[in-house]
Amino acid sequence: MGATEEAYFTPVVPMDFTYNYRVGHYLQRYLDGFKEKKVLGAKCPECGQVVVPPRKYCGSCNKVREEFVELSQEGTLENFTVGHVTLVKGKLNEVESPYLVGMIKLDGADNLLLARVEGLPVGEAKTGMRLRAVWKDQAEGDYSDLDHFEPV
Amino acid sequence: MDNKVAIVGFRMAAAPDIEITRERLAFNLTRGLFDDLGIERDDVGTTIICSNDFLDGRTISNVFLDPHVGAYMKDESKVEMDGLNALAYAAMRILSGQYETALVASLGLTGSQASPYLHIEYTMDASYDRPMKLLNELAAAALQAKSYLAEHGYSEGLLDEVAAKDLANAAGNPNQARRMPGITAEQVAASAMYYEPLRELHCYPPTDGGCMMLLASEKKAGELCDKPVWILGMGRSTDNYYLGDRDLATSLSASQAAAKACEAAGIKDPAGEIDFAEISSLFAHQEPLFAEAMGLMESGKAPDAYRAGDTAINGRLPINPSGGPLGGHPISSTGLIRAAETVLQLRGEAGENQVTKADVALVHGQDGLCAQQSVVFVLGT
Ligand SMILES: [Zn+2]
Repeated sequence: MGATEEAYFTPVVPMDFTYNYRVGHYLQRYLDGFKEKKVLGAKCPECGQVVVPPRKYCGSCNKVREEFVELSQEGTLENFTVGHVTLVKGKLNEVESPYLVGMIKLDGADNLLLARVEGLPVGEAKTGMRLRAVWKDQAEGDYSDLDHFEPV
Repeated sequence: MDNKVAIVGFRMAAAPDIEITRERLAFNLTRGLFDDLGIERDDVGTTIICSNDFLDGRTISNVFLDPHVGAYMKDESKVEMDGLNALAYAAMRILSGQYETALVASLGLTGSQASPYLHIEYTMDASYDRPMKLLNELAAAALQAKSYLAEHGYSEGLLDEVAAKDLANAAGNPNQARRMPGITAEQVAASAMYYEPLRELHCYPPTDGGCMMLLASEKKAGELCDKPVWILGMGRSTDNYYLGDRDLATSLSASQAAAKACEAAGIKDPAGEIDFAEISSLFAHQEPLFAEAMGLMESGKAPDAYRAGDTAINGRLPINPSGGPLGGHPISSTGLIRAAETVLQLRGEAGENQVTKADVALVHGQDGLCAQQSVVFVLGT
């Protein structure tokens, strides 16, 4: 029997295993802030950098970031891509209309927040644009509460 | 490095679909390597298997490969990252003085067995990135590409030129999976758009493949081969995980890993002292990005360097004369294949892809989103 005539055995790896990942105090506080439509960052006592979402440990300093800081809901589009496909379980799928994924520097933050950018034709996105947060009407303390950003 | 470790032999293979079992691929490559060197499995001191449990669909996947790579009932360990990490691990085992020889055995089947993108989806942060559903390997690479091009004011045409150069090199290399003879930058620019600015032919192809490599101490190397290639330096570095915390316009992991490797090798001016480089650029923009970050190319001058043919096989500092990962990316093996291609060049055995001057070379491997980790080796004759 030649190599190409061999049958495939196609096991499906059961990745519907359930894992309980604790989000930790800091992401919990971030999500609690979402309930009040606030965006919180965390500040490192050593380097003074403010990161969003707030994360407890500063990689550069190996210190605990102790201070929470409420950030502006406006910021600058620093980088973006236009998606013409999506990946679903590792497979490429075309999308009906291209969409924007942006990296946004909120006023008061030192790092960039990834978010969907809507409210403009994708071809008109430019780095340096000013954007503002758009919330779901009913915030529930979930990542999806901060729905997208749109031009100011 | 005070003690010397040599690469004495290797076997490699890559194809869109290798059409045999992973076990047979592992056996064929290892047995072939042993026959090349005239050794048996008892002559191997320690074995490092490099494979990915997620891609193999079973955990601790090395336990299924011991008989095929000659490691049954022997000293064997595993690396679940790029093959260059496994090479570093194997080299350190020889440097420990405990072993005279070490086999690195790497396999990755993302052409026929499982999608490479699926594996990256499950490397992402489960408590943030996965529920956010914004990122995947291609979107992350596109953000890196956009940031790099914007930083220097480069046009997207650079990506087409890089890809056309690599794919043309790959077409002349029998060890590559994606073979597109006569490919032009215009054809690259006409391929399907994935995430702007990255198109299909700017991205690596899903690939089946593997690479087996034998290392030896200085004492043993001379007995095993006529043309040992020496590890002159190695370095590793890991950046932040979160893309928003990183400067995507450059690669800190690549620059720091290269600086460490070059320091160990006594190289002060990489652009002047390195003859050629094999870089794990999984996407077209990563080749000039890493080359600039590692000091092989003047920062801000990438389009000039490509247009002038500096990076071509017969150029001033050839980059990826093998065609690089745009010609094939069997995850787990890619960096090790870069090392194997470098050994071919240093021995003057690279056929129509042979570079003119081949005494000292730089090899780069990566893991994680946008090369969160880089591994760099300096190899020489
Ligand atoms: Zn800090």
